[in-house]
Amino acid sequence: MLEDSGFKHVTIGPAVDTFGGAIGEVNARSFEVYGYAFLARRV
Amino acid sequence: MPEEFLVDVDTLRTQVREKYRDVALDPHGTHHFHTGRPLAARLGYEQAAVDSLPDQAVESFAGVGNPFSLRPLEPGEHVVDVGSGAGFDSFIAATQIGPTGSVVGIDMTSEMLTKSRDTAEQLNFGHVEFREGLAEALPVESGWADVVISNGVINLCADKQAVFAEIFRVLRPGGVLQFADIANGQPVPLEAMHDVDLWTG
Repeated sequence: MLEDSGFKHVTIGPAVDTFGGAIGEVNARSFEVYGYAFLARRV
Repeated sequence: MPEEFLVDVDTLRTQVREKYRDVALDPHGTHHFHTGRPLAARLGYEQAAVDSLPDQAVESFAGVGNPFSLRPLEPGEHVVDVGSGAGFDSFIAATQIGPTGSVVGIDMTSEMLTKSRDTAEQLNFGHVEFREGLAEALPVESGWADVVISNGVINLCADKQAVFAEIFRVLRPGGVLQFADIANGQPVPLEAMHDVDLWTG
């Protein structure tokens, strides 16, 4: 989707266990939901 | 509801506003996600930078990652924070860019805007301002930003393509989008994707 919008050089960082230990952990685990950092450039 | 969106845009916005109004007014209440300083530590924010901020700047932080982890900001940069909430990432950005730079935080929840503006005044951060607006219609001049940051916001927008188009518009050519958000490794059933309650819970 980023590249569809015209962004280039997309980088994605490692997964972070954003919801571990929180109430939302159950839903997050069900669908393997993690947080990520993204970097992209408008060329 | 337009067919191209999974959920009704206005219903989703209303629920997101209600959720984050609670986070602004009752940051230590029961939420389905972590908040505040423990969350910032979990996500790998620089401890000294977080410690330098007052509780009011940190307690309502509800991000999902660290938008500064892949690229620290540079002094003097113009930064837009999409969905700035109570301002935590905007204040971290402000410390990185210094007084020669500028941060514009955008949020649609009035309680978050009140809180972030009050904190900016307390911190005497004259190079940070907060504007009311939507991610799909950013109140920022085209090409103004060197950098756009965001944290856990785009996943809460029904029309993500519109959000990315707006971010593209406000960035100057060569500008950088650095954001954090969630992604799922397992497919979500279609009926769940149409359930607006699951978008915010």
